[in-house]
Amino acid sequence: MSEIVIEAGKRPIREINEEIQAACAAGHKVIVRNTLSRHNLGVGLPPGAIVHFEGSVGYYCGGLNDGATVTIERNAGWAVGEGMSHGHITVGGYAGMSAGAAMIDGTIHIKGDSGPRCGVAMKGGNIVVEGKIGYQSGFMAHKGRIIALGGAGHSCADALWQGEVWVAGPVESLGVDVDVVEPTAEEVAEVDAILEPLGLADSSRNWRKMISGQRLWYFESRDASAWLMI
Amino acid sequence: MCGIAGRILASSGRVGDDLVELMDAQEHRGADSTGFAIYGPPRDSGYILRGMGFDKTRLDKDIEDFRAILKAHGSDFAGEPSFVTDDNAHYCARMVIDDPRDIARWIRDADTIADRFEIQSCGRSLEIIKDVGGAQGVADKHGVRDMIGTHGLGHARLATESSVLPNASHPFWARPFPDVAIVHNGQITDYFTWREKLMRKGYRFLTENDSELIAVWVSDQIASGLTPELALKKSISAIDGVFTYMIADRDGIGFAKDRFAMKPLVVVEQDGEMAAATEEQAVRRIYTGECEVINYDGPSLTHIWGVGNRSLAA
Repeated sequence: MSEIVIEAGKRPIREINEEIQAACAAGHKVIVRNTLSRHNLGVGLPPGAIVHFEGSVGYYCGGLNDGATVTIERNAGWAVGEGMSHGHITVGGYAGMSAGAAMIDGTIHIKGDSGPRCGVAMKGGNIVVEGKIGYQSGFMAHKGRIIALGGAGHSCADALWQGEVWVAGPVESLGVDVDVVEPTAEEVAEVDAILEPLGLADSSRNWRKMISGQRLWYFESRDASAWLMI
Repeated sequence: MCGIAGRILASSGRVGDDLVELMDAQEHRGADSTGFAIYGPPRDSGYILRGMGFDKTRLDKDIEDFRAILKAHGSDFAGEPSFVTDDNAHYCARMVIDDPRDIARWIRDADTIADRFEIQSCGRSLEIIKDVGGAQGVADKHGVRDMIGTHGLGHARLATESSVLPNASHPFWARPFPDVAIVHNGQITDYFTWREKLMRKGYRFLTENDSELIAVWVSDQIASGLTPELALKKSISAIDGVFTYMIADRDGIGFAKDRFAMKPLVVVEQDGEMAAATEEQAVRRIYTGECEVINYDGPSLTHIWGVGNRSLAA
């Protein structure tokens, strides 16, 4: 597989993305340079594509990914991998607000910390954060797993549906309607199987698994104060 | 949506040019109006005023009336005022005045003609330039790129709470506190209640813009004895809504962010200088190479940067 280098700079983002798509369709591995934290880089990549972004990227990088392998050398802005359905995205540093928002499947691996509302409204797949997940992470996640190895900020796992938030390390506070449960050995094995290929397996972790308390699934006026506590 | 920016230089330089770049990169966040607050070399005496008249055909009469009020307060123009006009009905003015006997009393009287001509900034150092249109257009019209200073703020407005009017653009001057300006990204939901309270204390608001409240609110808290750090922190629990705002005076720039953590702020501090913006790609206009970027993404955050990056508080 040959490599093609694409220079981003100040060129129109549509033009850059068309070049990335064409190079991927021709079977090349793509390296994007001089990204200048621009938005919308590598949105809608096809299955099998391999794209590497040097430096930091802006908002929505790798969004709507349909099966590509994307690596970002440094930081990502808002909503990296938003709405992705397949594939694998690796962020070398920090991922901004709403990483993996509404993603359907695939894996997002963040080597640094994540910003607020990581995995907001996610509908499947896995988000692995080696650092700490930000304020209100997992907010209204429908399904899928957020796995944080370095702790969680305030209001963790707020208003979950059927998503799960797994945290090893300190949790600053829980969000509304959260149950903290002891994971079974089978569940821990499943999480380890996600971490193993990332080189992050460690059987000594003390996990806290957070799921919905299901109290807010159906609104009742007597629960209004719980809704309003955020 | 809106986009905001702040810039501090290690020594006096082309801060106007930097702020235009920071705002041009964020024009997509709100292109209906753009504004700048620039802190130039401070004067020992006299104030620089920036103002806006709403009917350019009445310019001479406006300025004559404005000058009469100045004279009644022991002041006058120190040099000829300058004016900028174009196809729009409004005109913009810059003037330097001698010290009035009492700034608050003078501005109260000057505001009696604010429906025709309003003062938009007053300071030894501060000048606020704002207008309808994008960053490049406003910068070209008012010569912002050539403005020299140590620090300043920028704002791109997407009007959500009030009309698109040239005087409803940011930054806002904290009337009547000289040299204090703010820019705000977000919406204040209880501004009407707060304005009522502040108006009963004698403050005056000239627009229907929710953000005008913040500058006065913070300045009033400081005037009542709070440190700037505490005033910023207190605003997070006291003011309801979604906000990341930046407030500046002659000594530096501070920011506060609400408890919902909705509006981002990205900061690069390097070599005694600072650039802050809503989006990272904007600060990349200034710092094109790889550099450490601080994301103030969490809830309930404040910070103050001193001019020359003397950090005043964490």
